[in-house]
Amino acid sequence: MFEFLKKKLKDSISKISGTIKKSEKLEETSIEKIEEVPKQKFAEKDSKERVTLKEKISKVLFEKKLSENEFNEIFSEIKNDFLENNIAFEVVEKIRESLQNEIVNKNVKRGEEEKYVKKALKNAIEGVLIEGDLNLVINKVKENREKGTPTKFLFVGINGSGKTTTLAKFANWLKKNNFSSVFAASDTFRAASIEQLEKHAINLGIKVIKHQYGADPCAVAFDANEYAKTHRIDCVLIDTAGRQHVNKNLMEELKKIHRVIKPDFVIFVGDSLTGNDVVQQAKDFDKIVPIDFSILTKTDVDKKGGAVISVGYVTKKPILFLGTGQGYDDIKKFNKNEILEMLGLAS
Amino acid sequence: MFESIKEALRKVITAGYVDEKTIEALLSEIHNALIVGDVDVKLADELIKKIRERIKKEKTGVLSVREQVIRIVYEELSGLLGKETGEIKIEKKPFKILLVGLFGCGKTTTAGKIAKYYQKRGYKVCLLCLDTFRPAAYDQLKQIATKLNVAFFGDERERDPIKIIEKFRKEFNKYDIVIVDSAGRDALNSELIDEIKKIKSSLMPEETLLVIQADLGQMARMQASAFNDALKITGVIVTRMDGSAKGGGALSACAVTGAKVIFIGTGEHLEDLEQYDAKKFVSRLIGLGDLETLIQKIKESIEEEKAKEITEKVEKGKITLIDLYEQLESINKMGSISKIINMIPGLGMLNLPKELMDIQEERMKLYKYIMDSMTKEELENPDIINLDRIKRIAVGSGTSEEDVRELLSRYKQMKSLMKRISSGNLKKLMKQFRLPM
Repeated sequence: MFEFLKKKLKDSISKISGTIKKSEKLEETSIEKIEEVPKQKFAEKDSKERVTLKEKISKVLFEKKLSENEFNEIFSEIKNDFLENNIAFEVVEKIRESLQNEIVNKNVKRGEEEKYVKKALKNAIEGVLIEGDLNLVINKVKENREKGTPTKFLFVGINGSGKTTTLAKFANWLKKNNFSSVFAASDTFRAASIEQLEKHAINLGIKVIKHQYGADPCAVAFDANEYAKTHRIDCVLIDTAGRQHVNKNLMEELKKIHRVIKPDFVIFVGDSLTGNDVVQQAKDFDKIVPIDFSILTKTDVDKKGGAVISVGYVTKKPILFLGTGQGYDDIKKFNKNEILEMLGLAS
Repeated sequence: MFESIKEALRKVITAGYVDEKTIEALLSEIHNALIVGDVDVKLADELIKKIRERIKKEKTGVLSVREQVIRIVYEELSGLLGKETGEIKIEKKPFKILLVGLFGCGKTTTAGKIAKYYQKRGYKVCLLCLDTFRPAAYDQLKQIATKLNVAFFGDERERDPIKIIEKFRKEFNKYDIVIVDSAGRDALNSELIDEIKKIKSSLMPEETLLVIQADLGQMARMQASAFNDALKITGVIVTRMDGSAKGGGALSACAVTGAKVIFIGTGEHLEDLEQYDAKKFVSRLIGLGDLETLIQKIKESIEEEKAKEITEKVEKGKITLIDLYEQLESINKMGSISKIINMIPGLGMLNLPKELMDIQEERMKLYKYIMDSMTKEELENPDIINLDRIKRIAVGSGTSEEDVRELLSRYKQMKSLMKRISSGNLKKLMKQFRLPM
């Protein structure tokens, strides 16, 4: 993830701040500071266009202020970097706003431009990432266990986003935390969805509650919950059929499951390879069954990472885990600082 | 993506006059729409530049400026989303089709859809499962094969796909077409790519098709190129085109690799597979319609003679409740009303009331019950349905009078729309552009 964006952001930071530094160094002639100038800057020197832009910026920033127009000019390039790295259009706009508020017409201390810009960019991105609190989940399960009721997790998402695999990984994580679970095979539509869940169940030693294909998914979930109650099982993990968020009937079906089962947590499973559409998907699912957490899958395939930022921003809900491979242990707690570090923005 | 392009084009069509400002506004809206539609950022930049140059350079001739602008946008968009129509020619027996793609892109479902597609066309088809990794991939394909009543090969216990190929190689000769499902993989992972390369050289497929999802983001170009470099992709299938993403990333990425898009997946059922044609696709999406596909769909789902009748009626704008009923009968085979409406030239452009588009299957069933309670006379000539009749129909069908009235008003809406298209200028416009009709 973020392999490309990290480099691009570095460029961008130096684009905004680096040149200013240079112009000042001429005055201050500090050798230390010259060493700090990022390498990329020199590579760009040949570009005439950029030199004029740099001159412009340095002139303005000599007075320690960047006007809105100048900012927009610079941001148009950063914007492309963001877009190329799969951050949704809408979200880029949000970052732009936040960045603009922090940079434009603000006084910047001499010699701290890069730090300042980096911090502004960090704040802008940090603002859209929310870390999921695993303790919240653990405490809820414990609390419910004392009451003698199982904790219900409803997994939703579009086709092929990785719900079933994620559900198995999640059960494995629960198991490691000494919680028992039962699977509800509420995907009664897709061929072999029940068998797929059963295979995971055998591997993990978990019971599956299933009906026939074409059965009411709601009834399956209900039975699983009853089973959990009588057998004192801590968690019910409900696997639903993948559905397109624009399919009204299927979304109504999901609504019904939600209404009847009243899950403790709704988990949106999103594919990190999805482009701008992830925004619409997350929004529409959130509208029908309010999401508590998101899990982004296939991040091992994703070299760009933008979807993680987009989903966090759109749902304003915490991201719990990232799926990082095909094994049961390939699930990683979502860590905001790690993401910022990947982007080269950690302080 | 295309909604906003449609909207931007509508602005140009309805603008009092078209000047540079209007055009620049259009271009910037198209650019944003492309980006939101996941088209590779650099490709989008290039396309806009090209459109701008062409609008400046090319003489309008008989077309007005506004028509010229629409034509250029339409042509360039078609170019971006695949220049030629891809087609598979079944020339050999057995004709082996290997499906490859990312995790969760819909390979297995697509394998079933292709099997159904060729089965319907009279070929003897079998399915082969080489996905030995994902749990129950074997069961999934097997269940699909059972549902379609086609032969299925696979070995649940064998981990090595090559051995499975060897085991069933002789069987292939009994079939016209062998459709092969492989495990999902990341094209940038060299281990997984080596495996599929080996599968390919052992199987020696006539076609290697890349399955790619419509909502794929900026990774599309990288993945498509990597698959193409490793396997020499002969064609592409874009899945999940029924969602809100319209495959901008996937389609433009494939166009760059030169691989032609052959099919698109348009729903979760096995019959939801369409042949892809960039021109028709773009014209449908930007509201210019695609009668050809509609007619083909009608043909596939009802007998030929009736199809002719309906096509004529659609063109003339004469439609009775009986036609509506027959349409409802075959609606499951044809897809949703909104899908059909987008294929009728001009209808997409007309900005139809949302409620009309949203008629869902539930509603459809209700309408069918209501029509079942009508007499033949009433169906042929709905105008005679008065208050008493409405009451009787409602009681007979177990619906409310409101429902009956709703159906009648839907019918009237539909009828007047049909009239508008057949008499409208859009048809002429369509001819000028030599759009598919």
